[in-house]
Amino acid sequence: MKYALLLNNRSDDVERWAALSPDEAAAARAEEMPRWEALFARLGERGQWLSGVELDEPSLARTVRVVDGEPVVTDGPYAETREVVGGLMLVECADLDEAIELAAAVPLVDRGSVEIRPVVE
Amino acid sequence: MRYLALVHADDGAWAALSDDDRSAVYERYRAFTEEARGAGKLVDGHELQPASTATTVRVVDGDTVVTDGPFAELREQIGGYFVLDCESIDEAVALAAKIPAAERGAIEVRPAYEDGSS
Repeated sequence: MKYALLLNNRSDDVERWAALSPDEAAAARAEEMPRWEALFARLGERGQWLSGVELDEPSLARTVRVVDGEPVVTDGPYAETREVVGGLMLVECADLDEAIELAAAVPLVDRGSVEIRPVVE
Repeated sequence: MRYLALVHADDGAWAALSDDDRSAVYERYRAFTEEARGAGKLVDGHELQPASTATTVRVVDGDTVVTDGPFAELREQIGGYFVLDCESIDEAVALAAKIPAAERGAIEVRPAYEDGSS
């Protein structure tokens, strides 16, 4: 069964990272990268990986609605929330328990959250 | 460059549509995906089961905490997504405006992280 995993960071962490210098940000990324690579290797070995995308800062978002036939675009994300989506993964798992086990292995799960949503197939 | 279009819509209203009305909306999605794919702008896209089916996982003080429900309560929950390949965010937004849910809800367009950016 396919599941979408929304990988969420705390907004206050996102703000803190936005204030880092490019060198500090690169160092933070480099430090965490091995854990992500281990996760991706595991997903690949188990045949669970389908696709994914890492997102840039929420402040770069635009939100569009169509009102009376015309697009209305606002700068910023859809809503200001305590946690914000930082990435999305599409995975193939036997059942929800397997998806939960996978989610618990995502590096940001101890400082943010992972939402598991079944995909309409 | 890639962009994630998160589709926000009232899933209660969606569930309440008649089968005919829902079929008509699916037809519009089929037309959207065909047009976007034909133009080489669509990488992927999926409809998600309603937010009531979500499970959220956190690890707190070393313990895995699993709760029913989405990570945030939003007026219009995430009902699906598309991954778009466009030249600019302006182009991605113009394309996202063609997603049927833009009329009933809202589409949040998020640039993907590219090495070398922020």
